[in-house]
Amino acid sequence: MKAAIRVEKLSVSFAGKHVIRHLSLEIASGGPTFLVGRSGSGKTTLLRALNRLNECLPGCATSGQVELRLGEQWVDAYAATTNVENLRRRVGMVFQSPNVLPLSILRNIEMPLKVALSLPADEAEARAEQALREVHLWDEVKDRLSQAASTLSGGQQQRLCLARTLALRPQILLLDEPTASLDFKAAQRIEDLLLELKSRYTLLVVSHSLGQARRIAESLFVLHDGERIEALSKDVFQDRDALFSVMDELI
Amino acid sequence: MADRQEKLSVAFAWLSALLVPALLAMVTGFLLRRGLPSLQVALWFGDTPPLAALLHGAPVFDGIWPACLGTLYLVALVALMAVPLGVASGIFLAEYAGGRTKLAFSFCIELLAGIPSILMGLFGFALILFLRRSFAPEANTCLLLSAFCLTLLVLPYLISSTRLAIESLPDALRLTGASLGLSHWQLIRRILLPASAPGIFSGVILAIGRAAEDTAVILMTGVVANAGTPGSLTAKYEALPFHIYYLAAEYQSPAELAQAFATALVLLALTGLLLLAARRLQAGLEIK
Repeated sequence: MKAAIRVEKLSVSFAGKHVIRHLSLEIASGGPTFLVGRSGSGKTTLLRALNRLNECLPGCATSGQVELRLGEQWVDAYAATTNVENLRRRVGMVFQSPNVLPLSILRNIEMPLKVALSLPADEAEARAEQALREVHLWDEVKDRLSQAASTLSGGQQQRLCLARTLALRPQILLLDEPTASLDFKAAQRIEDLLLELKSRYTLLVVSHSLGQARRIAESLFVLHDGERIEALSKDVFQDRDALFSVMDELI
Repeated sequence: MADRQEKLSVAFAWLSALLVPALLAMVTGFLLRRGLPSLQVALWFGDTPPLAALLHGAPVFDGIWPACLGTLYLVALVALMAVPLGVASGIFLAEYAGGRTKLAFSFCIELLAGIPSILMGLFGFALILFLRRSFAPEANTCLLLSAFCLTLLVLPYLISSTRLAIESLPDALRLTGASLGLSHWQLIRRILLPASAPGIFSGVILAIGRAAEDTAVILMTGVVANAGTPGSLTAKYEALPFHIYYLAAEYQSPAELAQAFATALVLLALTGLLLLAARRLQAGLEIK
């Protein structure tokens, strides 16, 4: 399996306090690759280090190397020549709780396309429709596109956020506990979507749910205290009892 | 004991909350009782026919029409200068300044906010004296100077409210915008500013109210009792708060005092209208 993300001696600290220290790992393209670990073990910080989103938070300092394969090229995320906005468009992210913007359903997807990619209106609209179809939301919202996105249900909002990210045509998708705030049914739809998307995108998913990891993960990492990261082989994490006994040891 | 304390606290909170509308009703009632009888066409236009004044600009001598216009022009000028400056400074402080720069700027703005308005008027007056003695011997106190000094007076409200409104937005909004590949400025312009519009507008409303009612600054910088409708930015002008002050201080007859009350009512209504207009504008500006 080809690698898509290479992390080398990554350390991230906030206001001098280390969240991640000297972490190295390699993530294969496709996936989904799952990242599990206790709360506060640095999963989200690791995820945000890949698209340099930690920099938007106060007091953040990052060292080490993050390389991402975008297209056929390897891009050093933290190189001085790397355009960070462009990087974030190509390494899309979906957050734990659906974070729709205070705009209409359609504008939620169109605004970034028009503003960040300077796409003309008709192209942005076409892409928005395509993205909404990709996440199976189009039929549910096509008659109410101008309504506020906040009027959608939690599951629909999360799929809208996924569509918004997909519309930017990323190559890598980072998903930070994408089903944590959803009910069982809505979570299942997102899981099904991830399985559909894995052939086209490299998916890296932070999750709290071992059951979910067992169901859909291709590979799995366990992060411990922001320092130790352990890759579990597929036969271990797909065997329920073996997975739980390993997790007991690791966490 | 704790139960009694809670009951007392609740009662006190209720009482305090009721006191404000009660006082407002008292002041408005008093103004209405004293001012309403004089609130006639003559109050506005004196002996001049209203249509002639409104359409053809016929001079008005004994009415408050020129003062109304003067106050409106003044507020418009202040808004024109102070809103862009204040909002831009607020954005700078919230989004771009860091560490010591932020502390230093915040300190300056707090200092500016603490300056009494009479001092701001004196500053304007001294500025004109300086200009007259240096490179502009023709300079004189005028509408523009008043607007400039009032701008200085209201800037801190605008800066602080803009900064607070932006800084209190949730981090998630920032992260979302950044994760979608928006640059810092795009994030501010497209997401943060629209989301903080209500807070910014409350600052604008405060500033407009303050500019409309201030007397001390304009007293020193260009307002006069009889100037007619303001002809240009460098002309003297009349204004409602000064008109009230002038009538109340130097009235010759009970009728003139009643006029002062009626003028106060007009000023109150004018400020109310400006606030309403600002609210409508705010509703129109909210992101769609």
